[in-house]
Amino acid sequence: MPRSYPGALALTRRILRALIVLNLVMGFLILALLVASLVAPDLVMDALGVRRGGGEGSLILGMRLIMVLGIAAVPLTHLVLRRLLNVVDTVREGDPFVAENAVRLRAIAWAVLGLELMHLAVGAVAAAASSAAQPLDIGWSFTFTRGVAVLLLFVLARVFEHGTAMREDLEGTV
Amino acid sequence: MPIIVKLDDVLYARRMTLTELSERIGITLANLSILKTGKARAVRFSTLSAICGALECQPGDILEFVPGPEHDED
Repeated sequence: MPRSYPGALALTRRILRALIVLNLVMGFLILALLVASLVAPDLVMDALGVRRGGGEGSLILGMRLIMVLGIAAVPLTHLVLRRLLNVVDTVREGDPFVAENAVRLRAIAWAVLGLELMHLAVGAVAAAASSAAQPLDIGWSFTFTRGVAVLLLFVLARVFEHGTAMREDLEGTV
Repeated sequence: MPIIVKLDDVLYARRMTLTELSERIGITLANLSILKTGKARAVRFSTLSAICGALECQPGDILEFVPGPEHDED
């Protein structure tokens, strides 16, 4: 008999709500940084440690592109967190095997795939904007784990869909 | 549904109530009611076997196929 963890569920909900707010705040901050880099480029680039002396044009463009990608990631991350919160809510209500959760998991899978593609784009932009004289170090790294997570989410969505259909069949069985 | 459940008729013929049948075969009254009113979507062989055993009848005494359009109550 599996144990239930009401405390863990409540904690998960609190963490997800905090992450939703944090994601929006981060999005706003990146937007503010992007606007500042356009309005007062010298001030922002000095603060970010960009050295002058030619060749910084592509670096600045790269930074702005990464900021745009960062802002574009906010709605996708918001979608993932909101849908996950909805799934956790169905677990809390005691009935997670509903068709809606399969739809939510599939939406999460697509959003995470989108985020992963954006992550790859950020890596490509950083590599293109970097030079030996002025490296753009954003701590980017490639890992297969996220790709596997995307596959796992798609599979899980299918499992939920199938499980829900099976349960509907069983419900009318005497 | 073109399958008609005639549990009521067999119960009447045996002078047995649904509650008594439920107690004898260990299937909840709620589930037997679902079966009796034709709202069940499927019947387990174990349920059919228990009912036939208690009512001393054949599955055909309880279920009847009547040709007609298939319609779901969902």
